[in-house]
Amino acid sequence: MYRRRSLYLFALPALIVIAIFFIYPIWLTGQMSFTNFAGIGAAENVGWKNYERIFSRARYSDAIWITLLFTVIVVAALTVTGLFFAALLHRLPLIRNFCRAALYTPAMMSFVVVAYVWQFIYSPLNGGLNALLESVGLGFLQQNWLGDPDIALYAVAFTQIWMFTGFTCAIFLAGYSGIPEEIEESARLEGASSWQRFRHIELPLLAPSMTVSIILTTIGTLKTFELPWILTKGGPDGATRTLSIEIIDNLFGQYKFGFASALSMVMLVIVLAVAFVQNKVLREREKVT
Amino acid sequence: MNNSTKALPMTHDISRALPGGSSLNLRKLRSFLIHAVVLALVAIMLLPLVYMVMMSFKTGTEIAQDPLGLPSSLYWGNYMNALASMGYARSVLNSIGITISVIVIVVFAGAMAAYPLARLNNGWSRAIVMIMALGLATPNFVTITPIYVIFRDLGLLDTYIGIILAFAALKLPLAVFFYTGFIAAIPTELEEAARLDNCNSWQVFWHVIRPLLSPVTATLSLFVMLMVWNDFTYPLLLLTDKEKFTVMIAVYRFVGNTGIDPTMLFPAAVLGSLPLLILFAIFQRRIVSGATAGAVK
Repeated sequence: MYRRRSLYLFALPALIVIAIFFIYPIWLTGQMSFTNFAGIGAAENVGWKNYERIFSRARYSDAIWITLLFTVIVVAALTVTGLFFAALLHRLPLIRNFCRAALYTPAMMSFVVVAYVWQFIYSPLNGGLNALLESVGLGFLQQNWLGDPDIALYAVAFTQIWMFTGFTCAIFLAGYSGIPEEIEESARLEGASSWQRFRHIELPLLAPSMTVSIILTTIGTLKTFELPWILTKGGPDGATRTLSIEIIDNLFGQYKFGFASALSMVMLVIVLAVAFVQNKVLREREKVT
Repeated sequence: MNNSTKALPMTHDISRALPGGSSLNLRKLRSFLIHAVVLALVAIMLLPLVYMVMMSFKTGTEIAQDPLGLPSSLYWGNYMNALASMGYARSVLNSIGITISVIVIVVFAGAMAAYPLARLNNGWSRAIVMIMALGLATPNFVTITPIYVIFRDLGLLDTYIGIILAFAALKLPLAVFFYTGFIAAIPTELEEAARLDNCNSWQVFWHVIRPLLSPVTATLSLFVMLMVWNDFTYPLLLLTDKEKFTVMIAVYRFVGNTGIDPTMLFPAAVLGSLPLLILFAIFQRRIVSGATAGAVK
């Protein structure tokens, strides 16, 4: 009943935009990654040299490692905090919507604003966190939060976790709304405690939400750029120099377009590989539980 | 929590364990306490925002002497200084203009592309869906270098058209998925009736499908607005002319240039977030459910 071919013409404008802004650039990035292109002038083919450099120098494997570590910390914490608040709010319908919106508010804000505000919270000079610790008698815990290479990455991760707890919480609450009332009701009648219901009924039934939450936060966190860029500029001592910072730095700090492209390709492969593996593993897990 | 809640045993049947009215009272007390504790936890999560607003009203001396205290009075001087030098009004106008243009492109291209994808299911449509999914998953760092080079060669750097196209491309895959899901749920009987009246595909799309799409368009518009307002990477790399800055890049440049001076930082942060927070207060249900739409499926 449809004139099928003509219908595809509808997709043409979108496909043109996608081709110009995704397909062609990805292709171009792949090409540039094998050159020493410096932004202007002729590009010389250098073969796999850029990639060899990435995998032979500690600086770049460190950046990959820091990106992965940061992602694991943030995603694990976001899953727990989101689930924690969702499980609580699921049991408290009276304040559920209000708290959901309140928790979501930080995710509505710009990375720029969040980064600047937290930069001052972490500041060793009159910063909010150190002042708070002092005022409750925990002054000995004061730190130079963003200046200590052992702490900085966790401080940045904490900010990101604070920002997106409301997001994962909202995902899990959406999952909760799909759990039939009767299942919970019958468990309650059989005397299952709140914790038992969470552990044996809700947690397994929330598996699809867990999949979505983990995949979305992972993809988002792997390309984290703004928070470390503003909070620490990758420092101190490269402790927060993620792959994304390395890319921007090579691109607009040093005009090494070819090398930045190789780093970008590494990032693309990591993101696609992680998303693919997670999707497989988590979907399998959904079937088992 | 205090003792009275712990005294409540989690046995099979609470009402049997604690007879009569006292059980009811205890349960009420317990429920009240739980609500209070959870609200307190949520309030703690919001402390940084309270801090941001509070700090924006403090004078430099107050911040140095009493970094946590409430401002002694609502001191508007910080806002006056920030407004005078950050080019706020201009950047708000820029953000609004860019937002509207991006919405127009994304809505038209997205809804049109979604129509065949929702109605046809064969190799072609699956291939297009895959391409859109790739667009959704690609980090913008992978495409930023070539886009920068292409824009420079075409003279699109530092132009409204350039930033509008870049933003539109970024949100287009999401738009296609939003509309595809929605159109697929529209019964085909409506279209068949129109076809019997000799409408061509375009007329069917324009007169039957398009008028039904406004809920998706509304949600999508909110997301575009959020992105244009909040995104940092594209304007950082593609815009250098102060006159064309979006709000966030204006905030970034302004705070960066003042050397993280708290009397400038906090009012700029509040000014930068306020319009979106107001928007969120009005549309929070639509925004939250839109952002988690994929989670339910």
